[in-house]
Amino acid sequence: MSGLLLAALALGLLALRQYVLVVLAAVAVYVYVVWGDGRLDNIVLDGWEALNQDVLLPIPLYMLAGGIMAEGAIAERLIRFMRAVSAPFPGGLAVATCLSCGLFAAIVGSSTVTLLAVGTIMYPALLKAGYPKAFSLGLICAGATLGIIIPPSIPLILYGVMTSTSIADLFIAGVGPGLLLLGMFTVYSMVVNWRMPRGRWDMAEVRGSLKDGVWALLMPVLILGGIYSGFFTATESAAIAVVYALFVELVLYRKLDLRSLLRVTTDTTKLLGALFPVLMMALALNKFLTFEQIPNQMVALLESVLTTPASFLLVTNLLLLVVGCIMDIGSAILILAPILQPVAESQGMHPVHFGIMMTVNLEIGYLTPPMGLNLIVAMTAFKEGFGFICRSVVPFILIMLLGLVIVAAFPALSLFLLK
Amino acid sequence: MRPAAVPRAPWLLRALARFEQIATTAAFALLIAVVFADVVWRWVTGSGIFWAREVGVYANIVLTIIGIGVASAHGAHLRPRFMDRLVPPRFEAMMIRVQELLTALAFLGLAWIAWRVVAETMQLDDRSIVLRWTVWPIQLVLPIAFGIGALRHALYAWWPEHRPREQSEADIELPPKVRA
Repeated sequence: MSGLLLAALALGLLALRQYVLVVLAAVAVYVYVVWGDGRLDNIVLDGWEALNQDVLLPIPLYMLAGGIMAEGAIAERLIRFMRAVSAPFPGGLAVATCLSCGLFAAIVGSSTVTLLAVGTIMYPALLKAGYPKAFSLGLICAGATLGIIIPPSIPLILYGVMTSTSIADLFIAGVGPGLLLLGMFTVYSMVVNWRMPRGRWDMAEVRGSLKDGVWALLMPVLILGGIYSGFFTATESAAIAVVYALFVELVLYRKLDLRSLLRVTTDTTKLLGALFPVLMMALALNKFLTFEQIPNQMVALLESVLTTPASFLLVTNLLLLVVGCIMDIGSAILILAPILQPVAESQGMHPVHFGIMMTVNLEIGYLTPPMGLNLIVAMTAFKEGFGFICRSVVPFILIMLLGLVIVAAFPALSLFLLK
Repeated sequence: MRPAAVPRAPWLLRALARFEQIATTAAFALLIAVVFADVVWRWVTGSGIFWAREVGVYANIVLTIIGIGVASAHGAHLRPRFMDRLVPPRFEAMMIRVQELLTALAFLGLAWIAWRVVAETMQLDDRSIVLRWTVWPIQLVLPIAFGIGALRHALYAWWPEHRPREQSEADIELPPKVRA
């Protein structure tokens, strides 16, 4: 009965248009009063302890680094290089779009920033070159989702924080599935555009664009190389990413001025102010649930229903696909990761593999109506109808579902780089 | 960011926004400086700055908790919208006031609980692990931020015309150059 009341409280507050923060706070008050000792101070104390840890420091730093690079000249230079390299391939411009999305994703860690940074340059270029509008839109919307699986990735950091999983391991494990999806998009782009006119390699342009974009191209090497070699922790690489981005954009490329920097800082603060209080409440709630051994009870309950790892994978993925349609990825991970991860572990899944699978699954939510973030951003940025954009991403959703099956079925794809 | 909303706002909302912007920018700068200094110092001397992480964590807390107000001022808080269409359009104006009033009450409740925590920490003279700083002055950021949130949303409930357009989730990450 009290569980039903809790669900009614949460749904009632959502119907009254309350923020995720307020809903989680109300849920926390309810569970502390009904199932705990009623000391509400513990909600804030647990929330304080949740924030008072250095594992959270990469989040603001990576977000700021991404904001700086999206504002500056890095995207243009990366795209120029990718266009020069992929010119002779079938569907060369589409391939360049895929590769630019993948590379930019490896720098900024955000799907919508990737969509806008790459899309605003490549969408008009694709249309001008005669690529179908639906294909071009779908490719940009889908390619941009790589931003949250190719490291650095904010959702992977959130998963790591909520489940006490190594963020560095998650970053390294994201490389394989990220490259798989990138490869699938690229092959699809080549196949459907096989008859498009091809260009030729212009070595002078390749060399020129490489020289022009070398500082931008070094960024993922610096971040991932530092983490993979064990030279940096995730926090240190995030600080280096910010300082490197500032150096490249302010000193080398000189595309960013101090006013733009202040605007980027405020925009990043706005995102942090929306995300961190939710994180604080979710962690406080998680602490209570762990104290009351709720995850253990969930494991026992689900183990009795889902008797095989395959049935667990199927049900979990279906649940996440539905959740991805109605909820943003951050909130979904904060709420569901601490509940599902122990169950996954009890089914023999590696916590890093489960985190990657969860992120790849929720990545599809960027493309599914009614709340698909990339659909809404594309509608705003490219001035196209919502229905048309939804139809344009269907082939890419099918590709991503195939990718999800492969990621779920072959843990080695995620774990092979882990030491 | 939606700068156009700020000049129309009453002076109190403008003052709150200015305070939040200064505090969060300073905290961000401090966070970047100490974490990067820690990395450089480790390269140079072989060991990091022992207090850097603690200061970085506190800067992050100030940044993100005061950032609640920045998110409110720009209508950027996360909110699932799948139930929005339950209310007929003719009740929309009333719904906005109810929404803001409830949010204000929730923030007020959180501010009260946070103040009790700070008072208790003050009484116990809790100190940080590394620097042995008294913790309550930093914890004070919690009741202040929640209190400002309560005040701001109460003002929005009273004068909905000063409320920022609630951003769709899509708008949250739109870079200014694209928005322009």
